Amino acid sequence: MRREKRYWDFLASFTGLALTLAISFSLVIALILLLSATPGKAIFAFFIGPFTNSYYLGNMLNAAVPLVFTGLGISIAFKASVFNLGGEGQIYAGGLAATAVCLALPAANGYLGGVVALIAAMVLSGAIAGLSGFFRMQWNADEMISSFLLSAAVLLIVNHFITGPLDDPKNNLLATLPIGPQYALTRIFPPSKLNVSAPFSLVAAAAVFFFMFKSHAGYEMRMCGLNREFSRYGGINVAAYLVLPMILSGALHGLGGGLMILGTYHATIEGYSFGMGWNGIAVALIAKNNPLGVVPAALLFAYLDAGAKAAMLNADVTFEIAAVAQSFIFFFVTAQALYGFVHRRRRA
Amino acid sequence: MPYLEMKGISKLYSNNLLANNAIDFSVEKNEIHAIIGENGAGKTTLMKILSGLEQPDAGSIFLGGQRVAIRGPLHANRLGIGMVHQHFKLIPEFSVAENVVLGIEPLRGGLFVDTAAAAERIRTVIESHGFSIDPRTKVFALTVGQRQQVEIVRILYRDARLLILDEPTSVLTEQEINKLFDTLRSLQADGKTIIIITHKLREVKEISHRVTVMRKGAVVAVRTTADVDKAELSQLMVGRSVLFQIERSTKACGSPVLALEGVMLKQPGRGRPLLDRINLTVRSCQIVGVAGVSGNGLGELEDVVAGLRKITGGRIFHNGENVSRISAAALRERGLAYVPADRLRRGSSLPSTVMENMIVTNHHRFVRAGFLRGGKIQQFAERLMKGFGIDDGPQVPIGTLSGGNIQKVILARELASTANLLVVSEPTWGLDVASSQFVYEKILAMRGAGAGILFLSSNLDELLGIADTIAVMYRGRIVANLPNDHATSKKMKELIGEYMLGLRDDFASQGRGTPERQT
Repeated sequence: MRREKRYWDFLASFTGLALTLAISFSLVIALILLLSATPGKAIFAFFIGPFTNSYYLGNMLNAAVPLVFTGLGISIAFKASVFNLGGEGQIYAGGLAATAVCLALPAANGYLGGVVALIAAMVLSGAIAGLSGFFRMQWNADEMISSFLLSAAVLLIVNHFITGPLDDPKNNLLATLPIGPQYALTRIFPPSKLNVSAPFSLVAAAAVFFFMFKSHAGYEMRMCGLNREFSRYGGINVAAYLVLPMILSGALHGLGGGLMILGTYHATIEGYSFGMGWNGIAVALIAKNNPLGVVPAALLFAYLDAGAKAAMLNADVTFEIAAVAQSFIFFFVTAQALYGFVHRRRRA
Repeated sequence: MPYLEMKGISKLYSNNLLANNAIDFSVEKNEIHAIIGENGAGKTTLMKILSGLEQPDAGSIFLGGQRVAIRGPLHANRLGIGMVHQHFKLIPEFSVAENVVLGIEPLRGGLFVDTAAAAERIRTVIESHGFSIDPRTKVFALTVGQRQQVEIVRILYRDARLLILDEPTSVLTEQEINKLFDTLRSLQADGKTIIIITHKLREVKEISHRVTVMRKGAVVAVRTTADVDKAELSQLMVGRSVLFQIERSTKACGSPVLALEGVMLKQPGRGRPLLDRINLTVRSCQIVGVAGVSGNGLGELEDVVAGLRKITGGRIFHNGENVSRISAAALRERGLAYVPADRLRRGSSLPSTVMENMIVTNHHRFVRAGFLRGGKIQQFAERLMKGFGIDDGPQVPIGTLSGGNIQKVILARELASTANLLVVSEPTWGLDVASSQFVYEKILAMRGAGAGILFLSSNLDELLGIADTIAVMYRGRIVANLPNDHATSKKMKELIGEYMLGLRDDFASQGRGTPERQT
C-alpha cells in the first residue's frame, strides 16, 4: 500500500511539472503570436529549432554540461541544508584557475596538464565556497549571504585577471590568452562543440548519487541536512557538515567552469559563466536535489536556451522577446519546484 | 448557576490519546480556580478547548448560562475569554504596545496604526492594574516576569473577563511569583474570573478559592481550597495506582560511571540558574532515578549529561575522567547510550527511513571502504524491529509510524548498543503496558551487564518500580536523594510527591533558601 502511495506521489509531482511546462509553453506561444510577423516560423524555430541540425543539437547538449555540474553542486549543498548562492563566482573562478594552469604549463602533456588544471579549478572554487562554510561554523555567519557576497567580489577579481595580467592583446574580446591546443577536449559530435566533458558529466552525476545515498559521509551529510539536533544527538560531527558540503559544492562548480574552458572556450572570456550559477539552483530545485534528476533538468534548461537562440536566428524574434519567453518558463518551473521545496521543508 | 460550565468534554487526539474523557468542569463568577494534575493529565487540553485553540470531540460549553460554541481564539476573545500560554507568544522585536494591539490595532484614517491612541489605552490598562512596564519598551529587553505581564495586559486590553493562565509560575522567580499573585488578587477584586493551571500545591493553597484535580484525562475531585490539605491534594493528584511488578536482582554497586560535582547551568538574563549545584553519582549496576515536575530542571540535566549543552560551572566525570567539555560524539564513543524525552526532534529524523534512524549512533559499524553496507543495515534493522514488535518495514520514513512505534525504534537503537552509561528520559511515555514492561526488562538487563543508568522520569510509579535510588529535583536543585525501599513504596510515593512539589528540601541549608520552603 505504501509503495502504491509513493507511486502516486511520483506521478503527482511529474504531472505537476508537465502542467507547469504546458502553461509556460502556451504563454510563450501566445507571446510569439502577439509580437511576431511570422509566428509559425518563430514557434517552429523556438521548439523544434534545436533539433534541426547536428550543430544546434550538439551545442544544446554541450550547454547542458556546466548546468549538470552546477546543479550537482547545489544539490549537495541543499541536501545538507547549507545554501551556496555563490555559484556564479565559483564557476568563473574555476575557469580562470584552469586557464591560468594551462597558460603556466604551455608545453605540458595535454592529459596530465588538463587534470592538473581541473584540480586547480576544483581547489580554488572549493576553497572559496568552503570559506563561507567555515564562517558559518566558526561565527554562525549565514553562509547564504556570505557566499553570495564573496561571489560578487570574486567576479570582479576574475575580471581583473582577464583584462589585466592574462589579457590577450590580439583578441578583440575581453578574454585571456588562449590555452595550448593540446588541452582542448576531444570533440565528439562535429561540427558542434560537444566534447568528452558531456559523458564525463554523466559519470559525475552517478558519482554524486553514490556519494549521497550510499557512502558513509553522504549518510551523515543527509542526516545533518534533515535534522541537525538529531545528528548531534547521534554523535555526528555536525560542524564539519557545515563546511564539507560547501567545499564539495564549490569544487563541482569549479570543475564545471574548468571543463567549459578546456572543452568549449579555450580561454576565459569575460562573463562566460553569466547566469549559470543561478540556473544551477533552478536545475537543482527541479531535480529535487536528486543527482540523477539533475541531468534531465539541465537538458531542459539547455533546450529552452537553444530554442530562444534558434528563434532569434531564424525568425523575427528579437533578443528581448526570446529573453522574456525564456524568463516565463524559468519563472514558472522554478516557482513550481520552489513551492514543493518550501512545502516539504515546512512539513519537516 | 456557575459562570462557566463545561459538560462532558472529550478530546481524542489523532494518535489515539484520549486527553479529555467526559470532563465536567465549572467555575463560579469572580473566583480564582486552580486546576492541578500531573503531566499529561489533560489540563492544558481542556483549557485549549475553552480558549478556542482545540475543538472538543464531544461535550458542550455554557458561559453565563448561554450555550456557546467556541470557534477559535478570536471568537474566545470576543466572548471575554483570554489565555496566557506557558510559552509566551510575543514578538521580541516589537514594543510592548505593538505586541498588545497586534491583530486589533486601532486605525487612523482606516489605514495607519494609531500608535498614540494605542499607547494611551495600554497605559490606562497598565496603570489601573499596577504593572511596571513601559508600553514603548521592546519586548526583548524585558525579563520573563515582565513578558508575562505583557501577556496579561494583552488579554485585559481585549476586555477579557475570564483569564486562563497555563502554568504561569514555572518560569518565574519567587519574587515574581509573589508579584503575579498580587496582580491576580487585584484582578479578582476587579471582578475578573481566573483559572490557573499549576503543578504546585503551595500555589494552589496560596491563591485559589477552589481546586479541580485532574488525572489521566478525567476530573478526580473538586474541592474548596480551604477544606483540603496538601497531603490530600497530593494523593488525589498522583493516585494510588498499582506498582509495576518487576523482577529485580540486587547486585553490589561497582565504581562510579557518571559523577556530577556542583554542576551549574546558568542562562544569561535569568535570575535563577537552570541547574544549581547538582551533585549526583551513578554507579555501575545501579539505576539512579531522578523525579521532578516539568520546568524544574530535568530537561536541562538530560542535555548536560548527554553533552548537548555546555555547563557553566562544576564538573562531570565519566569513568573517573573529566568530560565536562567534550562533545556528544566523544561521549557516544566513550559508551553513552541515550533515550531523549524529545523523541520527535532529537530522537529521530522524521523524513528519514527507519533504517537510517536505526544506525545514526552506530553507522560506523556498517562502513566498508567509505560506503555503507545496505544489506547488513537492513538485517540489523529487521532484527531489532522484530525484537520490539514493530510491524512496519525498515524502508518507510519513520514519521509515518505511530508515536509509540517511533519510541520503540529509538529504544531498540539505544538499548542494542553495548553502553556502559545509559541515560533515559521518560522512556515509556506513550507506550502501552506490555511495551513498557519490555523496556524495563531491557533496562534491567543492561544494569545486569554492568551499565550505570540514569533514569529521568515524571512518572513516580515507574521510578519506584525500577530505580535503586531516587533523587528529586525542584527549581533546578536536587532536594532529596533517597534509597528506594520497595517495601514502603506507598509511603515513599507520598514523600517524593512532597519533595517534587517543593514542600520538603533536604539540602535547604546548602541552597539559596527561599523563605516559603517548609520542612
